Amino acid sequence: MIESAVPSILSEDVRKLIPTSKILVVGAGGIGCEILKNLALSGFNDIEIIDLDTIDVSNLNRQFLFRKEHVGKSKAEVARESVLSYNPSISIKAYHDSVTSQEYGVNFFKRFKIVLNALDNRAARNHVNRMCLAADVPLIESGTAGYSGQVELIKKGVTQCYECQPKPPQKSFPGCTIRNTPSEPVHCIVWAKHLFNQLFGEDDPDQDVSPDTADPEAAGSAGLNALGTGNESGNVHRTSTRQWAQEIGYNAVKLFNKFFNDDIKYLLAMENLWKSRKAPTPLSWEVVASNEGDKEKSKIVNDNVRSVDMQVWPLHVCAEIFELTVGVLKDELNDKKFLIWDKDDKLALDFVTACANVRAHIFSIPQKSRFDIKSIAGNIIPAIATTNAMIAGLVVLISFRALAENYDQCQSIYLRQKSVHSNIILAPENLIEKANPKCYVCSEQPYVSVFVNVDTLTVKEFESEVLKKTLNMIAPDVILDGKGVFVISSEEGETEINNDKKLSELGIVDGSILKADDFLQNYNLTIGITQYVAEKDEPLFKIDSQNTELKPQENGKQNGSVDKPETKENDMEVDDGQDEVECVTDTVEEDPQEGTSSKRRKLNPPEDDDEDLIMLDDP
Amino acid sequence: MSEKELSTAEAELYDRQIRLWGIESQEKLRAANVLLIGVRGLGSEIAKNILLSGINSLTILDDGKVTQAELLKNFLLDRNSEGQKIAKAILPKAQALNPLVKITADTEALSSKDKDYFKNFTIIVGTGLTTEQLINIDSICRESNIKFICGDVFGMFGFSLADFQNHDYYVDQIRLPNRKRTHEGSKPVSTEAITKKVHSKINYPPLNEVLVTSDNVTKPTEGKRKRRNELFYLMRLLIEFRDKNGRNPDYSSKDNDVAQMKSIRTELLQKYQFKEENLKEEVLDLVFGEIAPICAIVGGVVAQEVIKAVSHKEVPIHNMFLLNPYTFSGKEEIVGA
Repeated sequence: MIESAVPSILSEDVRKLIPTSKILVVGAGGIGCEILKNLALSGFNDIEIIDLDTIDVSNLNRQFLFRKEHVGKSKAEVARESVLSYNPSISIKAYHDSVTSQEYGVNFFKRFKIVLNALDNRAARNHVNRMCLAADVPLIESGTAGYSGQVELIKKGVTQCYECQPKPPQKSFPGCTIRNTPSEPVHCIVWAKHLFNQLFGEDDPDQDVSPDTADPEAAGSAGLNALGTGNESGNVHRTSTRQWAQEIGYNAVKLFNKFFNDDIKYLLAMENLWKSRKAPTPLSWEVVASNEGDKEKSKIVNDNVRSVDMQVWPLHVCAEIFELTVGVLKDELNDKKFLIWDKDDKLALDFVTACANVRAHIFSIPQKSRFDIKSIAGNIIPAIATTNAMIAGLVVLISFRALAENYDQCQSIYLRQKSVHSNIILAPENLIEKANPKCYVCSEQPYVSVFVNVDTLTVKEFESEVLKKTLNMIAPDVILDGKGVFVISSEEGETEINNDKKLSELGIVDGSILKADDFLQNYNLTIGITQYVAEKDEPLFKIDSQNTELKPQENGKQNGSVDKPETKENDMEVDDGQDEVECVTDTVEEDPQEGTSSKRRKLNPPEDDDEDLIMLDDP
Repeated sequence: MSEKELSTAEAELYDRQIRLWGIESQEKLRAANVLLIGVRGLGSEIAKNILLSGINSLTILDDGKVTQAELLKNFLLDRNSEGQKIAKAILPKAQALNPLVKITADTEALSSKDKDYFKNFTIIVGTGLTTEQLINIDSICRESNIKFICGDVFGMFGFSLADFQNHDYYVDQIRLPNRKRTHEGSKPVSTEAITKKVHSKINYPPLNEVLVTSDNVTKPTEGKRKRRNELFYLMRLLIEFRDKNGRNPDYSSKDNDVAQMKSIRTELLQKYQFKEENLKEEVLDLVFGEIAPICAIVGGVVAQEVIKAVSHKEVPIHNMFLLNPYTFSGKEEIVGA
């Protein structure tokens, strides 16, 4: 080539580094596609891309390296081919794989000059954060949600890491609310998803859909005692819901009457629940069926998006759909052990829409269109090409500076939706955010307090819920400090014997210290155990990375910024009371009126350019 | 311009954006006919974004030919397209971005187009234009109620400038009716958010007031007014350079071009009496080339404004967007109003 794509106005050293630096792009989704294009157009020559996902139709409105004929294929591989078709001389390697896989250890990450994250979930972000800290490679983290987005450099010893500021926990709902006392559409949708899993999915005892008689609020209800051991359709578990459904051959009428009539009657008997709430109204199949008078008017089988998708189905349509989907799903189940709920599976979505709306009707809760239910049930975060393009542009601009090691010029930048209250669209921070000295990931001696009930939590639950799901370890080894007890081993077969033991059985009690070590992440964490018994509606365990006695944090910025130089007056550039980079699913909780809420602004980077956060699942 | 209803296939394809701007906006996009003038570094970014958004038709007007340099900065081009007309050469890859959009390549010169040519469009997007061209097109747009937006990238600097005339728009305001839960009463308090459409209007100044008349407006009464973003003068300087030379500053003639820009800067300093340190000479070293990631940012902004203009939803930028080449801060600046 005669000319070079490397921008001529960059400094000589950066110009030399661009064609020779090996770059890793983690994620070939919305931001990833745009980053790859920008890298190729800027003269980068040695790129690797990793993504475990395959292409879906709903990606095509923004993931422009993919076309309709690519649906179902590997994102990483198609992205590679697309970039090569633009410029065949670029060296680009694709991995159709999970970045958290054991194959990509610290040595893998050390090969790169810079790592660019373009991910859609917190777990993978946390993991890459740790890998880059361990490998001491600069990481440029980015995310978008709707019109908003942000870009942030993470460099060991220079900036805060991705986990320096605690993120708000993912939203979940207490089991009693879901099973006994729903008050919002989302409660009914979660219940309907659980019902799908109970009938067709993998068994999960946490997803029970029947009335919860252990609800402390219902205690002492006279009617409850009178009901004794429950009625014929099995409110009290003589068999599991699944078994019972199989026994009756998935008879839709019987299923409908159990979930929407008998179970509701049972709930009514727990009369204490309804002293301060509107009581539900049981609904039998017979009542719905006799009510289908205007069936002709509302035939819902046509290609009209607005009516099928955007309008709330009438009750009798919900019942029809229930019957129809139960029948087909039952047949699908014949060939498989269990079905997996997927928002893009039309049958599964129709089933959930129908059930959620029938339940909402019963509890006098507003019903929702299938379109809205898909958003909520699938945790869909809207995503558009323009936002991704802008964020990916910033990612590569920051890469130029990170290559030159001009880290002091790599402030985080926020993209926010234009509003009448602000004239700022791209808002850079004035300063680099310094690391939180108490961070349980990047500080010298990572420490975290864990509050659990040592008498009820098993080692296996501790490993999967606390260490893996919450503290994001991949394959931890854990020993009980001072005692030398090997609690958990990442080697298969070494500590399985401990799995079902309660923590206290291994000598883990209030005040115990555990040493956890994740070899893959090159991460050692000291865990202080505090005995804690969860109250009703409280999570089963809590973690406290800041040792603040679980005091709620007002603002991530204030915490851990003690040794930060006084913020300059016009640091306000990004601080003018806007609330831009919220995770979309959280906004339900916030007061979304413009300019009024700002407290949690920086705490939660926008989760996800994409979808599927599995946030609705109960603890 | 009938806004036909979306098919199921379209709803699936555009799902993630319909969830953001609503089906009404998507139907308006589907009826929009867009003219894009200039499909180089920035133009190709704009084309990509608006094609993906799902407009009805895109006409690409560019009489240039594919050069080596163009190949390096335009991802819609094929390696073996050198020497072809750019507007034609990008067609295969542009169409692949969205087979549902009708794309027309027009390889004639802008100067050959008469007034009527422009009247078929919902919105016109201009890149790489001179002051005279901008003002001419804008006045044609004003006659026929066509929205107009232009933008450019000069090295690390970029801007957009819109004339949406008397623009009506609405935003969805979401209110949570009552956050407190009742403790007495039997009625459950709905925590459902209520969405309300709030309508507003912005009156855009015509471009001749932005690019010409605003020259002389330094009324003494404006003393209290907020200081003008100095990047506006950088934009004026660069467009003036283009007016005079018929091209953008070029790295191969860097010394000469910088010298010329410095003298334009001196003129602007005298004319507008802004502080010298607010627009330092050093910035002129950064204005060469169409830097890809800068094109991505400005192309994203311009395309998003097109979407807002067409859908009449969300607050548009009034009327300039200016990207700071050092800090990458991007701000709205109201000029000429």
